[in-house]
Amino acid sequence: MKRSHEPPLWLLFGAGGLLAALLGPALILLTGVVVPVAAERGVEVLGYEATRELLARPLVGVLLALSLGVVLWHAAHRIYHTLRDLGMRAGQGVWWACYGSAAIGTLVAIGAVIALW
Amino acid sequence: MSRPPVYRPSMRGWWQRHPAYRRYLLREGSSALLAAYALWLLAGLVSLAAGEAAYERWRELHGNPWVFGVHLAALLAALYHAVTWFRLLPLTLPALRWGGRRITDRTLVRGAWLTSVALSVGVWLYLLGGVR
Amino acid sequence: MSEPAKITLEVQRYHPEQDSGPRWQRYTVPYTAEMSVLEGLQYIKDHLDGSLTFRWSCRMAICGSCGCMIDGEPELACHVFLRDYAPGPVRVAALDHFPIQRDLVIDHSDFLEKLETVHSYLIPAEERTPADGTHRQTPQAMADYYDYAQCINCLLCYAACPQYGWHPDFAGPAALALLQRYNLDDRDGGHRLRERVIDAEQGVWGCTLVGYCSEVCPKGVDPARAINQNKAGSAARYLLGWWRPGRRRGEDRE
Repeated sequence: MKRSHEPPLWLLFGAGGLLAALLGPALILLTGVVVPVAAERGVEVLGYEATRELLARPLVGVLLALSLGVVLWHAAHRIYHTLRDLGMRAGQGVWWACYGSAAIGTLVAIGAVIALW
Repeated sequence: MSRPPVYRPSMRGWWQRHPAYRRYLLREGSSALLAAYALWLLAGLVSLAAGEAAYERWRELHGNPWVFGVHLAALLAALYHAVTWFRLLPLTLPALRWGGRRITDRTLVRGAWLTSVALSVGVWLYLLGGVR
Repeated sequence: MSEPAKITLEVQRYHPEQDSGPRWQRYTVPYTAEMSVLEGLQYIKDHLDGSLTFRWSCRMAICGSCGCMIDGEPELACHVFLRDYAPGPVRVAALDHFPIQRDLVIDHSDFLEKLETVHSYLIPAEERTPADGTHRQTPQAMADYYDYAQCINCLLCYAACPQYGWHPDFAGPAALALLQRYNLDDRDGGHRLRERVIDAEQGVWGCTLVGYCSEVCPKGVDPARAINQNKAGSAARYLLGWWRPGRRRGEDRE
């Protein structure tokens, strides 16, 4: 029986899924609803100066970059497997497209965070 | 004596055969909206590094009705993801015991939601300037 | 005495010597409130069409023989009542994801082969002889694997599992639940042997936690849990394999 190489993919998928489950709703509520609703009432939420100060801290920045990375990884893993579930013969090309874009996204996030320091 | 032929059924359209399968695809599909939100935050992060003008443009876009609408959809997707994730989490754990008594699935789910609320409050306080 | 109520059954027929593929045949069956779908099939065979072929034995959901698709859901025919589908037509077909041999009879040899690979028997942790007496176990220890021991091999979970439908080499819910039944038995010492199956592509990693298997199980086995409880351990062994590759390399070569 051939040993599966899923485990490392699954661990990252799990980390991303857990993070998204714990913080996803609250974050989307904050940035997606509170920010524009507050703006309409003339209240600035997550303005440039404040946000830059919060995210420029190395520890916070690294955590944010890695968090975005694992969530992208989680989605890539799920999307890849769902395409196969739907009968698509998703081979190497699709694999690299899915996981590759997650990897690129993570690198972009790390780069942006470093640019804040 | 040759074996009589057998008929092998097809998997085409399998997901339409039962609501359980549709629910599964909905659950898996919620990750697409989560990815969209993560990419949107990534765009915000990049614009923050680019400078005030770029970042404020990103922040202003949140008032756009389409952007707002997608965020609402993403919020629903994130909630559905969280509900199903916490419900399935106990299945990935071995039987746990505390002082001889079995920790039930219900306890684990409640613990997960409590953790989510606690972490969410913490992140909100941090981002809204309540905690330094 | 009043005319008995009637229900229409639409049964999947397939006689390979004359049919190129499955077809549907309708029967009108008189039924009473206590009749199971199995008894409906038996009425058809006894009074309407003796050529109808199907498996059954205990009539009480313990032998696991009469599994079939009833209105698109995997069920034990003896476990559901005709009255709940009246007036019909209720569709009775062979279990999904298995080759159909004849009418409602499927070829389950694949499952039997899978069962052999998981070593579904007690491999004693310590050497024992009959002189040692009964191999005793606390009620709590038995509770750890009791649910997984309830499996009657009815294969409803395989009919429910789309991953098995796509990849017939997947070990599948029941085989992996029985594997877990022995791994969790504190009298057993064979978990190393079973790791080969767990860690394989066709082992627990073939599962995407659709979870429908546990929904359809008539005995409350919860195979979804049995499978997914093993993923973390399998992942840990995989990472340990990077740390100490010597241990794994020998086994991979096989």
